[in-house]
Amino acid sequence: MVVILHGLGCRYMATSVISSGRPEDDASTTKAEQISKAMKAYLERARAHESFMEKEIHDYEIGKRHLAKIMGADPDNFTQEDIDQAIQYLLPSNLFDRKSRPLMKHPTKIIPQKIVAQFGADGRPFDPLFYTGFPRYYAQIHDLGMVFENLKKIETEMMVKKMQPEKELDLGGSHWINKQSVETMLAEELSPGQYNQLINLLDRIAEHPYAYKFHDVIFKFRTELAAQTSRLEIPELKVSEAGRLYQEATGGRKTAVAKVTVWDNGTGKVDINGKNLLDYFPYILDREQIMFPLQFTKKLGLVDFEAVITGGGHSSQAGALRLALANALRSFVERGMVEKMRLAGLLTRDPRMRERKKYGQEGARRKYT
Amino acid sequence: MISVVCRSPRQHVLKYFSKHIKVLGTPYSTRVDAKQEEVLDKVDQPDSETTLADSVTDPLKHDDYFNVKSMFTKHDLFKARVHFGHKVGVRNPYMLPYLFGNRLGSDIIDLEQTVDHLQRALNVTAHMAYREGVIMFLTRNRQMLLLVEQTAKECGEYSYCRYWRGGTFTNAATLFGAITRLPDLCVFIGTHNSIFEQHRAVVEAAKMNIPTVGIVDSSSDPRLITYPIPGNDDSPCAIELYCTLFKKAIMTAKERRVQDKNIQEEQVKS
Repeated sequence: MVVILHGLGCRYMATSVISSGRPEDDASTTKAEQISKAMKAYLERARAHESFMEKEIHDYEIGKRHLAKIMGADPDNFTQEDIDQAIQYLLPSNLFDRKSRPLMKHPTKIIPQKIVAQFGADGRPFDPLFYTGFPRYYAQIHDLGMVFENLKKIETEMMVKKMQPEKELDLGGSHWINKQSVETMLAEELSPGQYNQLINLLDRIAEHPYAYKFHDVIFKFRTELAAQTSRLEIPELKVSEAGRLYQEATGGRKTAVAKVTVWDNGTGKVDINGKNLLDYFPYILDREQIMFPLQFTKKLGLVDFEAVITGGGHSSQAGALRLALANALRSFVERGMVEKMRLAGLLTRDPRMRERKKYGQEGARRKYT
Repeated sequence: MISVVCRSPRQHVLKYFSKHIKVLGTPYSTRVDAKQEEVLDKVDQPDSETTLADSVTDPLKHDDYFNVKSMFTKHDLFKARVHFGHKVGVRNPYMLPYLFGNRLGSDIIDLEQTVDHLQRALNVTAHMAYREGVIMFLTRNRQMLLLVEQTAKECGEYSYCRYWRGGTFTNAATLFGAITRLPDLCVFIGTHNSIFEQHRAVVEAAKMNIPTVGIVDSSSDPRLITYPIPGNDDSPCAIELYCTLFKKAIMTAKERRVQDKNIQEEQVKS
C-alpha cells in the first residue's frame, strides 16, 4: 500500500514505507498523526479535565442529597440557598476571611474553566504574535505604532500644503485608564513596565498636533473624571412665596461659618450680617475671595445674596462665604460647570486649622530665646 | 501509484539542503568555484534511491521551484544599499569571506555572494511555506519593527520583534503552559539584540535545532545562522527590500501549494 502525500500534513506522518502492507493500519495512523503533538497534548488535558469535572459534579449531587436528608428536606427540591443555609447551620464559622469559611457550591462555579486552545489541529497558532506571550498586548502596541506612523505622514503632507491643524485634541476632564482596566480590556496580565510602555506611546500620540484625527482610538484608553461629581447630588432650586428662585447653602473655613441665600434674577445686591460688601469687608483681598465663585460661574451682577457669618476673623469669614456661595451656585449652573468648579477648588473645604501652641515655646512654632 | 518519504517540513527541507550547507558553511570558503558548482549540480539532480511521483515531480528536486531567482537582481540589491557594511573597527572576522573590500573606512559586502545566499535563503523559506512550516520573523531594530511585524501578518506567518523572553524556545512548555509547536524556520532581519549583542534567539534556535535565515552585516557573527545572507541590516531601504522578497517568496509558495493540491486531487479522481 502506498499513499499519496504531498505537502499537506506530511510533517506528522510516519514514513509510508513502514506501514506498507497493512491498509487499515496505514489509514488510521496517518489520520491520527496529522494532529500535532501540541494539539494532542491539549486534547488529552481537555479530556482529563472533562472527566474530572464529571466526577466532581457527581459528588456534588450526592452530597446535596445527603445534606437534604440531614436537614429533613426534600432532596429533589433542595436549592443552592437551602445548601448555604444548611452549611451555615451545621458548620458555623466565625472565621474573618469569607474564603476560609466552609462552602458547598456547584463545581463549575468554584473550579476555574479551562483555557481554550490558541492553535489549530496542525499546531499552528491563530495569532501572528502568539510566540511573544502577550499577543493581544503587542497587537495593540503595533496598532498604536501604526497610528503614530500615520500621524507623521499626515503632518508631513500638511506641512507641504502649508496648512495648520484645524483644532486641538481636548483631553480635559479625563485621564488614562489604569493598569487593571487595560488588563481586563486585553485579557492579559501585564508587567508595570509594559503598562508604562503603552501609556508612554499613548502620551506621544496624544501630544501630536493632528491627534484629534484619531480621537476615538485615544479615548478608548481614557476615562472621564466627571465621575467624581456625578456621584454627588446637587439640590434643586427652591421657589419662594413671591415666586422667585433661590438656593441656600453653608460653608466654613477655620472657625468661621457662613450661611448664604442666593437669589436668582438679581442685580448684584449683597447683604452680609446687615451690611453691604464694602462695609463688611474693607480689604480688597477678602472681596476678591467672595467674588471668585460668582466670576467663575459668570453670575457676577446677575444674582443677589444674603449671608450670615459667625466666628473667625475677616479672612476666614471671606473664605467661608466663598465656599457657601460656590455650594449654592451649583444649583444655578450645568453639570459640566460643576466639574470645572470642583477642578478649580471651589467646592473643597480648606482643611487647615489653627495650629496649637506648644509648651516651652512662645507659640505654635516661635521659640523663646 | 506514488510514494513520497514524509517527514516534518523542517526535517524534509533540511535533509535536502544539508548538502548545500556543507558547501556554504565553511567560514573561509570564497565564492562558489567551478568544483563546488559541479557538486551543486549533482545535488540538484534527482537521486535514484528516492521514489518519485511520475506525474508530479518532487518540488525539492527542482532547482528553483518557486522561481526565486527572478525575484531580484544584483542591481536591485545595489540600489537598496545592501552592500554597505559597518566601519572596519567593528568587523567580525568570520564575515571576512563575504567582504569585497573597504572604502573610506567602511566595509563593502560582496553582492555576488549575497545574491547566491539570498536566493538560497528565499528558496528554503519558500519550501518551508510550501510545506506549511511555521515561519517566524525576528528583529530588534526598533525603527523597522512595525514593518517586519506587518510583513509577517500579511503573509500569514509569525513575528517576534519585541523584548525576547529567555527560554521562549528552550523552555516553551513552561512559558506557554502547554506543549507548543515551535517555529520551523526563524528569519532574522538583523541578528543583533543591541549594537554589541547577538539576538538571544539565535542561540536558542540553534539549541532547539531550528534552522535560521539571517541578514548578517559586517559586524554580525554568521556562525550559528544556518542560511546567512551577507548584507546591510540597518538601512530602511534594504530592510524594506528583504521584507518584500520574503513576503513574495512565502506568498508564491502558498499559492503554488494550493495549485498543486488541486492538480493532485484531480489526478486522484481520474
